[in-house]
Amino acid sequence: MADLITINVDGKDVQVPPKTQLIEALRQNAAIDTPAFCYHPDLKVAGNCRICLVEVEGPRGFALAISCHMQTAPGMKVRTQLGSEKVVKARKGVMEFLLVNHPLDCPICDKAGECTLQEHYMGQGRHESRLQDEVGKQYKGGADHRFVDAKGEDRGGKRIDLGPTIVLDQERCILCTRCVRFMDDVAKSSQLDIAGRGDHAYLTTFPGKPLDHEYDLNTTDICPVGALTAKHFRFQQRVWMLKSVESIDPSDSLGANLTVEYNNGKVWRLMPRRNPEVNKSWIANSTRLLYRELGRNRLTDGKIAGADCTMDAALAAAGSALGSAKRIALVASGHLTTEDNAALIALQSALGAKAEIFGGSWLKVGKPDGIAKSGDPVANRKGLQLLGITDNLDELAARAGEFDCLLVAGHDLWAADAARAAALESIRTRIVLSSWNDATTAKATVAVGIRAWAEVRGTMVNCNGRVQMLQACPAVPSSELEPAWQVLARLAAAVGSPLGWTSENDAWKHAAKLAPQLAGISYRSIGPAGQAIGGQKAAEVPAGAAT
Amino acid sequence: MPMPKTWKGKALPTVLTKLFEVENGHTLDVARRHGAYENIGPALFDKSQFELIEMVKDSGLRGRGGAGFPTGMKWSFVPRGGKPVYLVINADEGEPGTFKDRLCMDKDPHLLIEGMIISGFALGVRTAYIYVRGEMLPMIRRLNAALKEAYDAGLLGENIQGSGYSLDIYVHRGAGAYICGEETGLINSLEGFKGQPRLKPPFPAVSGAFASPTVVNNVETIMAVPFILKNGPKGYRQFGTDKSPGSKLFSIAGDVKNPGVYEVPLGISYMEFFDLCGGLDGELLGCIPGGSSAPVLTAEETKKATMDYESLASLKSMLGSGAVTPFNTTRDPVLILESIARFYAHESCGQCTPCREGTGYVDRMVRKVARGEGRDGDIDMIKDLADQYEWTTICAFAPGAAWPVQSFVTKFRKHFDEYVAKNAKHTEPRPLEAVRPGAFW
Repeated sequence: MADLITINVDGKDVQVPPKTQLIEALRQNAAIDTPAFCYHPDLKVAGNCRICLVEVEGPRGFALAISCHMQTAPGMKVRTQLGSEKVVKARKGVMEFLLVNHPLDCPICDKAGECTLQEHYMGQGRHESRLQDEVGKQYKGGADHRFVDAKGEDRGGKRIDLGPTIVLDQERCILCTRCVRFMDDVAKSSQLDIAGRGDHAYLTTFPGKPLDHEYDLNTTDICPVGALTAKHFRFQQRVWMLKSVESIDPSDSLGANLTVEYNNGKVWRLMPRRNPEVNKSWIANSTRLLYRELGRNRLTDGKIAGADCTMDAALAAAGSALGSAKRIALVASGHLTTEDNAALIALQSALGAKAEIFGGSWLKVGKPDGIAKSGDPVANRKGLQLLGITDNLDELAARAGEFDCLLVAGHDLWAADAARAAALESIRTRIVLSSWNDATTAKATVAVGIRAWAEVRGTMVNCNGRVQMLQACPAVPSSELEPAWQVLARLAAAVGSPLGWTSENDAWKHAAKLAPQLAGISYRSIGPAGQAIGGQKAAEVPAGAAT
Repeated sequence: MPMPKTWKGKALPTVLTKLFEVENGHTLDVARRHGAYENIGPALFDKSQFELIEMVKDSGLRGRGGAGFPTGMKWSFVPRGGKPVYLVINADEGEPGTFKDRLCMDKDPHLLIEGMIISGFALGVRTAYIYVRGEMLPMIRRLNAALKEAYDAGLLGENIQGSGYSLDIYVHRGAGAYICGEETGLINSLEGFKGQPRLKPPFPAVSGAFASPTVVNNVETIMAVPFILKNGPKGYRQFGTDKSPGSKLFSIAGDVKNPGVYEVPLGISYMEFFDLCGGLDGELLGCIPGGSSAPVLTAEETKKATMDYESLASLKSMLGSGAVTPFNTTRDPVLILESIARFYAHESCGQCTPCREGTGYVDRMVRKVARGEGRDGDIDMIKDLADQYEWTTICAFAPGAAWPVQSFVTKFRKHFDEYVAKNAKHTEPRPLEAVRPGAFW
């Protein structure tokens, strides 16, 4: 950390980093809650909402300045809402103005509960309304819900279809330009803009063009009000009902940090979780929509020869098949956690010399998009490599004739490359551990359901060598389902050498024994922000993160 | 109506208006016969940039666009030896009541070009722009014709008059917004972006157009530079007062006999100026001294005020762009404010919350009062709303929009109260108060 400098906030000296934005210094170093609508730590500063006003001493005495644009400098004197009536009054004024053209439709607004405007009204506003009907917004809530502004111009309606994923509610927009800046500077595809000026300005796409970027749903997160809402989440849940656990993107090796939000035994949405060193505040739409798969086409019990059976029956069948087989191929998976793969290695040791481990993936690797995806769909590829599992699926296909038993854990081989996987169909017994009724499950002689990524606690190592944790969301389609490591531990017990593991932590300790780079890393040290291998523990994610 | 040449036996300055009444003064031949471009030669090129900037500093020339910032000081902020420096002439004259720059460009474009060559040389500028308000099409045509003449005569382009100094000037036609007269809004518009002011710092003198040092000066400011070079700072200081030296163009409209553009030395009193313009029409009620954003003066204040930066500052108003609008007792201050508030609500760029929402809110409130639907407390609320957006935004638009509102409702409170009293129900409380959130939260 760079040398700290001293600034004076409300008469108290505070140590802050030099040349950082005052708003960050106030929030993090002075622990003063400073409101903002347009400011976002991962976007360029626009300085247009004016709610973060503080007083800063200049050549002509204290004057109002926006803390998001002001840089900290030694000896700076600042007065915040705690030390200055002028700041309190200025912010109240800004709140009043923001609400002049904002509808009071919180009861039907999806953003209610996580709305910055609501929060700051309670924090900074709390003024009594003096708005008079005839000078306020001209919105009359007509049958077609068109919003006519004060100039009598039609500013669009309550539900403007911007594109395949997003609906715009024009009259809720407070013109903070966060979404515009996101599309310009992060997505690098300027699909949104503010048209018009004054209080008759409005957010729009270009004429006839949709908003259809792979990252456009991030604009619904950073929208401080309910103007941009995601079609997939509209009217699904009230956000205060949702509970959340921290996890990471299972579909890409960058491992974008996210939260899994659930209620009533169901996952309702995935939200990006800010990590400045991984994905900033962004996740791709494809990642965000993965939650749908968690409740769709799940393998919730066992299958023997394609017919449903109980989990116990499937496990017994798998155990006896493994016991009686002569040559066994175990296929590890970069889609599973490090713990699961450590359990597979433990199972191999239990089976002895007749078992051999294969790994890798037949999925195509793309290019990094520079935002929140590395392009490699195998999330834990690095974790496999650390455990010493090499990329040799083609070798398995070539030598398929040698084996009479195949165990595939959490890996849809047939969907990845059915042509190459076809060689494996010659193996007589095919045991598949899978979360879904997928193409590989269809080829199984014995299939055992396992928990999906959102439902397990464990670690993955991202493409930059960062160990990151997934936490288990309790919303599971069936209470019968167990994580893959537990199923594999049961199979090890079935073939006569119980592992004695009682939690994923035991599996992690086993993994750390197998991979020297993981030694000394514990669940506690990884924390929510992850930990780089061979490096120091990552800095805590700053408070005042996304949204 | 010809401009008076003398006033009280003294000759009026013709720093800027020398060619205004000369036939075909906009053509190079005629202009040269009257001394145009005499500076462009050893008189200019033998001087150092430092000397030139010091000369402008010594002359006390201040920005004539409205803010009155000392021009020499602005020039001295420009960093040297790095990126190219741009000179941009602000000809986006948009302040209601102001119509001096358009006349300058119409009558004497060569004086502007000469001023640009001198300023450009002083600042080390290779490329300069004239940002002209889009509606002023005849002036754009005239400027382009004058530029062509100057290029053909070797006064612009590569190696001007064998001096080794090169300068290109481009005329940029604005797309028409008041806010593009703000220097950073103008730069954004010049670069092809939406005309919205930028956050400062960085200031344009350090990072302006195309992220390079940029000096933005008003047409009138630059047109005073050739005179200063020719006659020296002392020659310029023969006009005006010690702190506000020189002459200025005033565009007067309103209740006087001969409205128009006049060049007068700074420091004469407003009442003298009205006499110069043929005298007032009717009994004076008040006067907007420097464009619609300058706080209005009452008749009493107008009688005390002189036409310089300091006198108006002491009256909490400003000289602004020099648009003088006196109005007599037959005019209605409420309707004047209604029209001004309408203008600012229409022209707010929509970037900062307080200005975007506040100007529109005040506009609707004032209109409501003007319709005779005002209630008790509305006038105080209008003032309070204007206070709320006065100093809380990126640029000076919001204070400029707040000042007329604040000054009109305080100085002409009687008229506003009369309008409120027209509403038969003006004492009734507002229906909303019964359900105000504070009552149960």
